[in-house]
Amino acid sequence: MSKTWAIARLMIAEGLRMKIALVFLVLIAAVLLGLPFATRGESSLTDAVQSFMSFGLSATALLLSMLTIFMSRSLSDELVSQQIFLTMTKPIPRWQYVLGKWVGMMVLNLAFLSVSALTIYGMVRYIKATHPPSDARYDEKKLANEVLVARAAITATLPDFTEDAELEFQRNVEEGRYANVPADFDLEAEKKSLRTKHEMKWRVVGPGNGRVFEFENILCKRAPDAYVQLRYKAEVTGYPPDEIFRAYWEFGDPFKNVSVYSTATRHVVGRYHTIRIPTSAIADDNTLQVRFFNQNRFKGERQWGNVIEFRRSDPVEILFTVGSFEWNMVRLLSLIMFKLMFLGAVALLCTTVFSFPVACLASFTVYVLAGMRSFITESVAMNSKTFSGMFESITQFVVQSFMHIYNLLHWIIPDFGRYDAVEQFVAGRNVGLAWVLQGFGDLVLIKTVVILGLAMLLFHRREVAEVSF
Amino acid sequence: MVEQHLPVVQTAGLCKTFLDFWRRPRVEAVKDLNLEIRPGEVFGLLGPNGSGKTTTIKMLLGLLYPTRGRISLFGKSPSDVSVKSRIGFLPEESYLYRFLVAHETLDYYGRLFRLPARVRKDRADRLLDMVGLRHEAKRPIGEYSKGMARRIGLAQALINDPEFLILDEPTSGLDPIGAKQIKDVIRALGRKGKTILLSSHMLADVEDVCDRVTILYGGQQRAIGEVGELLRQRDITQITAPSLSPQTLEQIKQLISRLEERDILEVANPRVKLEDFFLKIVEEAQAANIRTSGARESGAVPDFLEKSTEASPYTVVDALVDAASHQTETIVPVEPVSRKVADAEPERQVIEELVAGGDSRAEKAVANPTSPPLTENPHHDEAESPSPKVTADQSVLDALMGDGRDGDSTNHDEKP
Repeated sequence: MSKTWAIARLMIAEGLRMKIALVFLVLIAAVLLGLPFATRGESSLTDAVQSFMSFGLSATALLLSMLTIFMSRSLSDELVSQQIFLTMTKPIPRWQYVLGKWVGMMVLNLAFLSVSALTIYGMVRYIKATHPPSDARYDEKKLANEVLVARAAITATLPDFTEDAELEFQRNVEEGRYANVPADFDLEAEKKSLRTKHEMKWRVVGPGNGRVFEFENILCKRAPDAYVQLRYKAEVTGYPPDEIFRAYWEFGDPFKNVSVYSTATRHVVGRYHTIRIPTSAIADDNTLQVRFFNQNRFKGERQWGNVIEFRRSDPVEILFTVGSFEWNMVRLLSLIMFKLMFLGAVALLCTTVFSFPVACLASFTVYVLAGMRSFITESVAMNSKTFSGMFESITQFVVQSFMHIYNLLHWIIPDFGRYDAVEQFVAGRNVGLAWVLQGFGDLVLIKTVVILGLAMLLFHRREVAEVSF
Repeated sequence: MVEQHLPVVQTAGLCKTFLDFWRRPRVEAVKDLNLEIRPGEVFGLLGPNGSGKTTTIKMLLGLLYPTRGRISLFGKSPSDVSVKSRIGFLPEESYLYRFLVAHETLDYYGRLFRLPARVRKDRADRLLDMVGLRHEAKRPIGEYSKGMARRIGLAQALINDPEFLILDEPTSGLDPIGAKQIKDVIRALGRKGKTILLSSHMLADVEDVCDRVTILYGGQQRAIGEVGELLRQRDITQITAPSLSPQTLEQIKQLISRLEERDILEVANPRVKLEDFFLKIVEEAQAANIRTSGARESGAVPDFLEKSTEASPYTVVDALVDAASHQTETIVPVEPVSRKVADAEPERQVIEELVAGGDSRAEKAVANPTSPPLTENPHHDEAESPSPKVTADQSVLDALMGDGRDGDSTNHDEKP
């Protein structure tokens, strides 16, 4: 592998000595050093740090992705300028040359990513130290407990609504509601719809009513001064978002050998809130029961203004610390690095076949497709239902053709959104090792290896002295 | 010892056609080329621009794949990585990395041969000495002049102490000193038994250093043979003598007219070659220690090339024997393209066309390359008047007459 490393060293030297690295460092410095001043307007320290980290990490990931695509220019430049003649007439297998280029790109990416991460880390400390000290003590605590930490999240276990749905379905049948439905009426879909309806009903709590949330597998550290956090967001139908709602909470199952705590809250609707719960409320079987009571007044027909809704998109969660902020950041950066590894392989594959402008465009297209894959998958699934019959028009033909091509590419283009952990990280959520390993397996071990192998094969077969177009 | 003659390069029916985007034939660059380069010879690949020289070299190096035909290098395919460790290549342009300094460049190529760090450093230093750029070793290649980059190109071609050296237009872009140094290096390596393929359209370079040449035109081989044989003009005799008085010259003319019943074509004083004159001036400047940021003369072949090459005729042969014993079945049997001068006659027109294309080529075709040509001197009077030896030397005349009587012209065309 010494020959591979020789190529990688050359790539690193090129990256560091040519202007492309300098431009990247200037851009990243401008973004990371300028952002803290842009986020000064944020109301709290937590918001300022979260905004900075969110924008900073996203900008770093974007710039490094662009840099990776542009760094692949090294290979096509060597082909066009014919510098590659001298290397290819030395005893180095072509696959080692491609691998060396990729390794060089990745070492540069790792270096730049590390520099960016250290800058972000340092700037977080700087923001923390220089933020205006309005209510600073509370804010710092909030920052430490909710942002600069790695927390695991457990969502409430919902009741099984199947029985309710089945009962209603039978009632509907008896009442003859499905007597006039078409022959292809999907009964299973109807039952699913009824289950959803009952779940929605469960999620709504009227004035004076209550709801019980059960949480399982809370594997947190137990100590007298240890806490878990309840995080929730409630909506109130028809009210302005800054309306206050009143609630009463109880924590701990009174029928289990645990301490039971209670608190009354006046919170703003439509925003996330956190309540700290002592770990002594958690039962020995790692379960926690939370009871919620809507303390808003009943207003007769106008009661809907005080009905609380816990939406499916904003689940009620129990959060507890499972790791440090620093290691969480390392795991987040690993996921970013895995994407760059895949993108580097794609860029090299394209440059072994096309000239740089075409390769750049193709790589960028793959990057965009990978970033939008979940959206595209949904669209494709929707269109496949819409146009499932014979081709009725040119549009349908185009859509169907696209779907076939998409299905071919689907297995090789990863879903970058699936491994986008910035939002989690900024919210102080744990970027789990299992997630990172899954990303490594999917993005690196499978897709990067396949793409890189293809690049090596194509490069092995091509005539390096023939200029591509 | 038949194995000793196993060729380093052998091609059979080699063709290369470049295709356009739609895979239609665009250019037929090489057509049915049969080539054989023997161990230890300096072989010249001649031809005008677009004749297929570089395409042939690229195919030999595995940078292009033949459309048809076969190539074997040391009995193996050019794409075999092990073959490349025995080859040094200087391309027609200096395809070096502009961001590396000279020392890093040589170190990089040394790494590709897996040379240990100490050996890389040692060889890089010695090669930089050889090409006269040791003092500029820390400058990025991008700042080098074309000629300086060319010298680094030669140095990288020698970093692995190759058995077979391919030089594509080695003197292109070089000043006369550099060109001379490179030719000296080629001669030295040739003497040490290295096999060298020299591609050039600088005919003087090829003529100076090559044992055998082939001439390509339109992708096809038009002639092949030893340089001396190809260039010998049997219908003209050249006589070299110390400066003669007009009276002696007149007597010689009359004598030759009487004996041969033909007139002398021309009589003139020789001139030194401009290259020699230029080199003399530069040597004087260097002796006076005048500063330059360019290359300095060295030209001494590094020890590691000398040492290894002392045994290299045997090493090369042994390697070929080994290769042959293992690869006999894979070597393509080809007919050697060795032709006698008589066979080359139909190609003479092409040679003359090529020769006439360059400066003073007509003179060179007539004259011994190491002797001044017998051309008409435009400053005849000035050249003649200061001559101190105006008396005819009877022994010269005797010799002339004797030669004339025997009817056996001295072979001036042979390489020294």
